Amino acid sequence: MTASPVPADLSTPPGRVGAFREKLRTSESAFWRRGTLAAAILPFVALGFALIVLAIKGWPAIIVNGTGFFTNSSWNPGSTYGATTYIHGVAVPQGASYGAWPLILGTIQSSFIALVLAVPIAIGAALALTERLPRWIARPVTFTVELLAGIPSVLFGLWGIITLGPLLAKHVYPPIASVMPDVPVLRFFKAPTGGGQGLLTSGIVLAIMIIPIIAATTIELFRQVPALNQDGAHALGMTDAEVTRSVTLPWVRRGIMGASVLGLGRALGETIALAMISGAILGHTAVNIYSPMTTIAATIVSQLDSSFTDSTGFATATLAEAALVLAVISVAVNALARVIIHRSSSISAPVGRG
Amino acid sequence: MTATSTLLSSSTKAGRRRAGQYLFRGMTILALLLVLVPAVWIVVGILARALPNWHFSVLTNTTAHGGLSNAIVGTLLITFGVGVLAGIVGIGAGIHLSEMSSTGRWSTRADGLLRGATEVLSGFPSIVLGFVGYIALVVGLHWGFSLLPALIILSMMVVPYIAKSTESSLNQVPTSYREGADALGMSQGHSLRHVVLRSGFPGIVTGLLVALAIAVGETAPLLYTAGWTNQMPTLALTHSQVPYLTYPVYAYYNQPSDSLRYLSYDAALLLLVLVLVLLVGARLIVARTQRNAETRR
Amino acid sequence: MKRDSQESLAERTPSRRRVRIALPALLAASALVLAACSSSSSTPATTTTSAPKAAGVTLLTPPSATVSLSESGSSLLFPLFNAWGAAYTLRYPNITVSTASTGSGTGISSALSGTVDIGTSDAYLSPGQVQATPGAMNVPLAVSAQFVGYNVPGLKLATGSTNLVLSGPVLSEIYQGKVTNWDDASIKSLNPGATLPNLPIVTLHRADGSGDTFLFSQFLSKTDPSGWGAKIPYGTTINWPAAPGALGETGNSGMVQACGTTPGCVAYIGISYEGKSTSAGIGVAALKNAAGKAVTPTPASINAAAASFASKTPANGTLSMIGTTAPTGYPIINYEYAIVLGKQPSATTGQAIKALLSWIISPTYGQSSLYLDPVGFVPLQSQVATGSMAQINSIS
Repeated sequence: MTASPVPADLSTPPGRVGAFREKLRTSESAFWRRGTLAAAILPFVALGFALIVLAIKGWPAIIVNGTGFFTNSSWNPGSTYGATTYIHGVAVPQGASYGAWPLILGTIQSSFIALVLAVPIAIGAALALTERLPRWIARPVTFTVELLAGIPSVLFGLWGIITLGPLLAKHVYPPIASVMPDVPVLRFFKAPTGGGQGLLTSGIVLAIMIIPIIAATTIELFRQVPALNQDGAHALGMTDAEVTRSVTLPWVRRGIMGASVLGLGRALGETIALAMISGAILGHTAVNIYSPMTTIAATIVSQLDSSFTDSTGFATATLAEAALVLAVISVAVNALARVIIHRSSSISAPVGRG
Repeated sequence: MTATSTLLSSSTKAGRRRAGQYLFRGMTILALLLVLVPAVWIVVGILARALPNWHFSVLTNTTAHGGLSNAIVGTLLITFGVGVLAGIVGIGAGIHLSEMSSTGRWSTRADGLLRGATEVLSGFPSIVLGFVGYIALVVGLHWGFSLLPALIILSMMVVPYIAKSTESSLNQVPTSYREGADALGMSQGHSLRHVVLRSGFPGIVTGLLVALAIAVGETAPLLYTAGWTNQMPTLALTHSQVPYLTYPVYAYYNQPSDSLRYLSYDAALLLLVLVLVLLVGARLIVARTQRNAETRR
Repeated sequence: MKRDSQESLAERTPSRRRVRIALPALLAASALVLAACSSSSSTPATTTTSAPKAAGVTLLTPPSATVSLSESGSSLLFPLFNAWGAAYTLRYPNITVSTASTGSGTGISSALSGTVDIGTSDAYLSPGQVQATPGAMNVPLAVSAQFVGYNVPGLKLATGSTNLVLSGPVLSEIYQGKVTNWDDASIKSLNPGATLPNLPIVTLHRADGSGDTFLFSQFLSKTDPSGWGAKIPYGTTINWPAAPGALGETGNSGMVQACGTTPGCVAYIGISYEGKSTSAGIGVAALKNAAGKAVTPTPASINAAAASFASKTPANGTLSMIGTTAPTGYPIINYEYAIVLGKQPSATTGQAIKALLSWIISPTYGQSSLYLDPVGFVPLQSQVATGSMAQINSIS
């Protein structure tokens, strides 16, 4: 609604006082309009600013690393105590070459595992939560799910490395590995199970972290299903399971896809928890599902300080390039998720942790 | 009805359906448990490690003397600052998206773009924002590790959340309120202040509190914007490093020194308490307003 | 760590802090100092006392203003620098020292960018770093060493031997992933009479920018020049070959913690963590030196190696002390460096830095066995101390 151009307030005194008060009123509205517009533009500006800063800082690395950055595996700082060579005019320690393929693959693998685990659990939990539970159960349960969303990521990392990882490595992984037959694909699951720091543990902890956002979106989606359809199905004598299978789930199928992609977006950007439990191995991809690996975000955190010792600045520029890659992927995935959700339902996707 | 199903007795089919129902129930409950158990496990695990070695001097000494008082003060400082900065920007953005509907093709497209950018910014990886803050603010503008870069970067992270929750709570304010205000001749600014915001206030505050809970738990962006110090933070906006509770958790958890490891667990405990306070506060506000609201939602 | 902005340096391009002082360690060290140093009562020093015994090392006076110095860097030096800092504050209460164990790489970069006052590092500055920051210097403070730790349950050493014997070439093969099991023939040939179990080797390396990586990689380069040396240039961060199950850890403490809990591990650890390693069940390897003798890092063997390098140490302190030719010398030793800017932005801070460093290299104070013995370090040879003093005096 727009402000009326002509003062309609009957209490406005005539004359200059009235005009002054009117000016205040309209200028207040102008203040609100302009101020809120500025506020709304800021995120857009911030996003662009971040991408530009990364592109500028990473430019030397983009030139030198080229497309090999996405396919090579070695993470070689080069001879930091030796000579400096020049590639395409950029100063680089001799022998330095950075390949981000293990980082990219590690990011994809850990996010994939997280999704595979999180989506069914989140949907199941959402189904349980939309039941009419007695109040003494419903309150603490919903609060606990909110708490899960609010637990800081560093605490997930702490728990993963101190409690969950060793537990899995001792009691869960060995049985799994021993029942795996020694055939080509499944060999990935049969291996020395290590100490718990690795791909599978990272995937599990990531899954726990993204469940809240998927579940919250799914609950919203379930609320969208027309009650008439569900009640009608119940009236026909279908059990809850059958109603869910035939009515509810088909209705929200696309929305759930969008929710999953949303969870994927969160998993991609997860940093600290993975830095603590992934094992921080650069230079090669995970050998099997239990072995240490790394993700783009975890690498940036663990290597940023070391990169400053490269006096040519090349190492830091490479990390900026990696950050730019991650930023672009994350923006694309998030945008995709929201497009899917908006197109398939009239809900708006949650923002933040869910 | 196929021939097969008529051959099968109705009791088996009913039994199958019943079994299916039990299976469904069981699996949804299992899923719920799989969500609840880790949450409880983490909380219990941290309590179990922090409480046995707890001593209240952790709250009064700075890290230079084996405590966490500086980190607590630093986290509160950062939280307050983010609340103010992100609050203003986020609430403003939310008001714009909800109230300032524009006519005209360009405006609606621009609005869609702004809304999209806000949503996309929310998913931005935290370390990337920290890195950007480091390059542009800490080094580029020569501010050094300090409060201002930390506030700016953290605000960038939580503004989308505040904007979204503001927008949705303002959308829930009945249109009749606005129409009535317009009919009374109130200007838009006036009606915003006295009518719309007032009724949307609880939802806005709730969103703010939850956003602060997110900000409290961040580590990576702060590592590269706030730095760390084991003394009390000053109120200086630049050139003075700021301590925060997530740092000891990340940095001390694998130290061989027992006292440092206990500090790590103590910091984890304090973080949980802070997050709980914020979440419970948000819930209380929702409960109170639902009790007082004229229209039940 | 700087607390107030009054004395803030012009440009802060800092990097991450990781760990701060633990009070109990400080208190213990301070108690020792109080007991030993009779003259360390509370009066701030107003007179200059010259240190006896070593010509060329003068104890400088700190300023009378309150100064808070920040140090960050080597995890190997961290325990000792804590003790030094605490003792110094006892003697001059107006000077406080705030420390952090962030790794030598971060120590160097923070010192060069001016974020901390003193950066500590096991590695000297690279030519590129010296070129980028003219006037930066690395000042030797003490001589330390690095040992190779192992965790091999089921190992039975030959009667009369107390440590597993390893050599540079064998370690190079292990870290390249060519030797993957503890019962490999090459390890057996170094340890005749010992029973080695069939256990996969898990190699640990430092993921952060580390002076220990610098030392270890230099050691491997020098002892295996055609293999490791030809392929992998040494540095604080290097391109680790893919060995099966290899893990990256942060800080010496991370190495100790991981090796203690990973059967089959081999790790390179700074000597100041030897006590903690032994209590975690990690064994100390005897390394074959250039003369062919298997040596463990003891003060005697470290001193023997240090003495062989004393005359070779240049004025700027930059010298690699890996691979001594002394017959009983330990092969992996190094100078612990303080990285400082030659031109200090603040005169008061500069004066405080000079005073602290001069106290540290003084034989009566910082170099006394009171501080060095608990961490297994040995004092600087007198000619090296003189060189360090000259560097300190050139700070302005």
